[in-house]
Amino acid sequence: MSRPAAKQPPAPRPMRKAVSRTPSWVVPVAAVAGIALLVVAFLVIRWYTTPPAPTPLTVDATQQVIASITSLPATALDAVGAGSANNLIKKVSGTPLTGPNGHPEVFYMGAEYCPYCAAERWPMIIALSQFGTFSGLQTTSSSSTDVYPNTPTFTFRSATFTSQYVDFVSVETTDRNQNPLQSPTSAQQALVTKYDTSGSIPFVDFGNRYAFDGAMYLPDVLSGLSWQAVADSLAQSTSPQAKAILGSANLITAAICRLTADQPATVCSSSSIQAIEQKLG
Amino acid sequence: MRLQALALAAGLAGLGISIYLTVVHYSTIPLACPANAVINCEQVVTSPYGVIGGSVIPTSAAGIAWFAVSALLAAGLLAGRTQLARAQLGWAAIGIVTVLGLVYVEIVRLGAVCIWCSAAHALVLLIFLIALPRGKGNRVTS
Repeated sequence: MSRPAAKQPPAPRPMRKAVSRTPSWVVPVAAVAGIALLVVAFLVIRWYTTPPAPTPLTVDATQQVIASITSLPATALDAVGAGSANNLIKKVSGTPLTGPNGHPEVFYMGAEYCPYCAAERWPMIIALSQFGTFSGLQTTSSSSTDVYPNTPTFTFRSATFTSQYVDFVSVETTDRNQNPLQSPTSAQQALVTKYDTSGSIPFVDFGNRYAFDGAMYLPDVLSGLSWQAVADSLAQSTSPQAKAILGSANLITAAICRLTADQPATVCSSSSIQAIEQKLG
Repeated sequence: MRLQALALAAGLAGLGISIYLTVVHYSTIPLACPANAVINCEQVVTSPYGVIGGSVIPTSAAGIAWFAVSALLAAGLLAGRTQLARAQLGWAAIGIVTVLGLVYVEIVRLGAVCIWCSAAHALVLLIFLIALPRGKGNRVTS
């Protein structure tokens, strides 16, 4: 019988030395966390720098502002001519567009959040008021979170326009917070599709003879101004606001005069309107 | 290797998005994108930041170039050219810095988010994360 083998002591385990290394997940997670922090910082900056929405004017104060901008003397408009406005009006062809009262129709489509629409409503109101009378206009301002935030303006959402020369039809698609407001009819949408190929707003169609989209001046001209301050600035023909707004109004007026066969003569026969009409072709 | 395959896929997906946005910019095709108080692709891509330095070249054209190079780098690494790892990291770093600038513009300047742009930004982030050097994890040596 062989002797049982002596119990061997266990072989020493090899020395194991922990090597400290960064776990593989740390770097990507740290990168994501850093980027997330930056995005949060951007949101905080945005929140702090977003100006509060101005309170719309009362009905009486609104009427005063509208009365002020629609009673400018013809000489004030004449003195500005096209001013600093960018003539965006293009000649278009199509079946003449007639409004609900049988007059040539001026069709507008925009939205209350849109700063370019906000800018363009001032000259639209001034120009159209030379052919008729608005009622139901309300003050509002463009989106607080868009470019050119809180641009002071009016809204056509509840406005009516009466005229013996021209019909005005408007669609404000959303409010200043981009909630749905009004929808174009299929016929109106067809006009937009046909003539507003870029899809920009505001879009204005003058009886299917002329059309434009976008704003004729940059809304920063109105930045930080109250409705009353804008109205006051129009009394000075050399002010940036007068050059932009009245210049745009004259361009719009000239296009409407083309629709109405230069009626009324008191509006359409002015030298500046006639000069612009020649350029419109 | 699997991560580089993912980087290659992300590069190609980003290339597709960038090409789509560039084609829309130069055509009359409407941009497929919902519009609400936060998401508004039209507002972002038609803003002054939607083009490079006031030119007529859309920002998405830079995206085409970036994603194309990213895809090539990932393909090279997949083929075993490990010396491209640093180039991928540098290129991805340029991309992520640019994305942070664009996100700043969207959130702070414009207050609107373009979902197509955000998808491209997410792909840049993914490629950046793949390109980052990694530790080997805790290990035990004898």
